[in-house]
Amino acid sequence: MLEDSLGAVWLRGEVSNLKRAASGHTYFTLKDDKAEISAVRFKFASPFLPAPTQPLEEGMEVLAYGRATLYEPRGRYQFIVSLVQPAGLGALQVAFEQLKRKLQEEGLFNEDHKQPLPLYPLRVGVVTSPTGAAIRDIISVTGRRFPLAELYIFPSSVQGEAAAAEIVSAITSAERFSASHIALDLLIVGRGGGSLEDLNVFNAEDVARAIYACKIPVISAVGHEIDFTISDFVADRRAPTPSAAAEIAFPDQEDLRRQLQAFASQNLRRVRVNIDRREERMNSRLHEYVFRLPGRKIDSLSQRLDIHLQALLREMQQAMAKRTQALDHARGLLLLSDPRLPLRRGYSITRILGEKEPLRDTARLSAGMSLETHLLRGTVLSSVEEVKTDEDR
Amino acid sequence: MKIDKSLDRLEVITKRLGQEDVPLDEALALFEEGITLASEVKTSLDEARLQVKKVLEKAKGMFVVEDFDLE
Repeated sequence: MLEDSLGAVWLRGEVSNLKRAASGHTYFTLKDDKAEISAVRFKFASPFLPAPTQPLEEGMEVLAYGRATLYEPRGRYQFIVSLVQPAGLGALQVAFEQLKRKLQEEGLFNEDHKQPLPLYPLRVGVVTSPTGAAIRDIISVTGRRFPLAELYIFPSSVQGEAAAAEIVSAITSAERFSASHIALDLLIVGRGGGSLEDLNVFNAEDVARAIYACKIPVISAVGHEIDFTISDFVADRRAPTPSAAAEIAFPDQEDLRRQLQAFASQNLRRVRVNIDRREERMNSRLHEYVFRLPGRKIDSLSQRLDIHLQALLREMQQAMAKRTQALDHARGLLLLSDPRLPLRRGYSITRILGEKEPLRDTARLSAGMSLETHLLRGTVLSSVEEVKTDEDR
Repeated sequence: MKIDKSLDRLEVITKRLGQEDVPLDEALALFEEGITLASEVKTSLDEARLQVKKVLEKAKGMFVVEDFDLE
């Protein structure tokens, strides 16, 4: 009944009568100047709650979270503690949680506000102590990974009273430098590991707002002693250590060299494929021309050749025929002019004996003259007995 | 030299060379350009030495840039 009505509460007080039982449970009295209550923290209070960040000590001021129950055997109330922290830390924690919630509600952690980091940052600002381990680590990692880069250090103290203001001023200084002198691709803000109090400057609201407002993409790089700082939430990217920030910020030159090599060989391969494909295409075209299209052509060619041959033959035959005709004609003409032709038909040629010219009339003839008559076969010698003119007939 | 520009260009070239319709002349020109770019980047990596500067703002907007040496 009581348990239900009291519920869970935070109590602040001093630890006394601290006893650690063999069972692992811890018994103590929680008291302030007005009241006290016996308290117990069971070994397995809750597996989901964090273990105390610091072991409890006699006289330690703590902040304890739990519920009061009635310890029936003695009729006394007892505070069952599920979470206990040194009060100082608790105050820091509370302030942290409050600021975190406030900035979260304002939207300072929104993913859509986060800027993408450049792939190959060449000029990178670093806000940190120039004498700390952080800058040494960043320089060493950057030199190994990406020596093309230039680092611009904006010195700031990173712990103590003035640190928050100095970090804010270094961030805004880097922004002005970037805007008016050398454009920065990226800003790393951080420090190496330290105590919670040392790192607490990165939980300062001003620092968080400066990082949030920064126009240059920011990597927060706070040593990894605690899980997160407010700066981690507002930064565009969070790194667990300064070295890790440099690894996140810069590409590894070995990867780059491999990538360049890969580009070169990939391109070579692709050009080869291109040429091969072209060659293939050309071959198949050649094939088309030489074997397929020419095939068709040869078909028609042989047809055409046939036609030509036939025409030629015809021409030749015609020419031959003409020539034959001409020959025949010539032969005919020759035959006609052959003096023997009339003889074949039964005519004959008569000359006065001893003369060459054949006789065509009787003008010079008189009886008693000797004549020579050529027949087709044979010659007749005769004498003129009587001469008759045509008028006589 | 802007290394990101070079690498972007290399990526574009590689993508283009992977396409089937690239004329051979273009492919060879792209290949040559890519090889040149890649060797330029490689050379700049070979020759690079990390520069570290310290920037002090003496007055608002008045910057002093010094070489930074680790103590």
